[in-house]
Amino acid sequence: MPPSRTKTIKNKHAANKSGIKSSKQSKSGPPDGVAKTKRKGPAPPSKEVKGKSAADLLKKKKKKVYTEKELGIPQLNMVTPIGVTKPKGKKKGKVFVDDKESMSTMLALVQADKKGEIESKMIKARQMEEIREARKLEAEKKGEERKAKLDETKESLRKKRKRTHVSEGESEEKGLIKDASTTGTKAARPKKRVAFA
Amino acid sequence: MRALTEEEMSTVLKKLANYTGDSLKELIAPLDDSENADRYVFRVVKDRVYYVLLSIANLATSVARDNLASLGVCLGKLTKTGKFRLHITSLPILAAHARYKIWIKPNGEMSFLFGGNVLKAHVGRQTEDCPEHVGVVVYNMADCPLGFGVTARSTAEARRLDPTGIVCFRQADCGEYLRDEDTLFAG
Repeated sequence: MPPSRTKTIKNKHAANKSGIKSSKQSKSGPPDGVAKTKRKGPAPPSKEVKGKSAADLLKKKKKKVYTEKELGIPQLNMVTPIGVTKPKGKKKGKVFVDDKESMSTMLALVQADKKGEIESKMIKARQMEEIREARKLEAEKKGEERKAKLDETKESLRKKRKRTHVSEGESEEKGLIKDASTTGTKAARPKKRVAFA
Repeated sequence: MRALTEEEMSTVLKKLANYTGDSLKELIAPLDDSENADRYVFRVVKDRVYYVLLSIANLATSVARDNLASLGVCLGKLTKTGKFRLHITSLPILAAHARYKIWIKPNGEMSFLFGGNVLKAHVGRQTEDCPEHVGVVVYNMADCPLGFGVTARSTAEARRLDPTGIVCFRQADCGEYLRDEDTLFAG
């Protein structure tokens, strides 16, 4: 605990210099634990006050005469919040709009505002619509391309099959296969039939 | 009864401008060209905003505050948060100056008048180039105003919508004259 020790020493010096007998610091001689705690709390302000002469004290009191308003310090813990307070120079009460000119100017302002708002909305909507259309077209195009590719592959596969059949060669065999396939399908058909009672 | 303050006036006009087009300035235009011509003004009684002829408003000053139930046309009420809420009583004024309109078929009339939103299936006609979230006045097919609302979709989007999709959110309808009979003019 070295810092606390140094503090106590300083305080002692200050008390001696000031020469105030009744001060707590001068009295607080015994190294009591309780007394120490008492000293720690109010020590810093008393240190400053008691470190200067009576004249200084008087001067300080004069300085404290400044009101809070003069200092311009933001006021805290008020009933009305800081932002709500009205500016000083303004007239009290409501400002009514009843004459024709002010009403029409206000109306013109509001209308211009709304017009701009609606126009911007419409422009935005149009742009979005264009983007949507473009996307739709693109999607359609892609779909068509895909379809074309699929058809192509199908065609190529069919051709390949035909070619393989041709390479195997014999038309009789082909005929036979065909017959078999037709008979096969014909034979298969009655199998699939289901009769309900 | 008093005139509107600047803030109140701007909020009221902004709300009205949602529904009306350029003809909004006709609302406060003098009735004729003479110097002391009568004109319409806005007046606040408690929290209700009235649209009334200046001559009538001046006459109404002779009526005690407690005895004055209503004057002119009640446009709506100013809420405690400083916003303005249009009432169904303002429909004749809005309908006369409406910018965007929706006509609903006879099959959708009752559902709208009972407080429902306007569905795609009920729309007979709609103003072209209508963006979303703007005020529209709702008419039946015989051009009779039924209420007003806010568009849920732009016209282009509404075309692609399925029949059960909402085209317009209801704000007020003529059914309120019965439903809100107690609170519409006072309270």
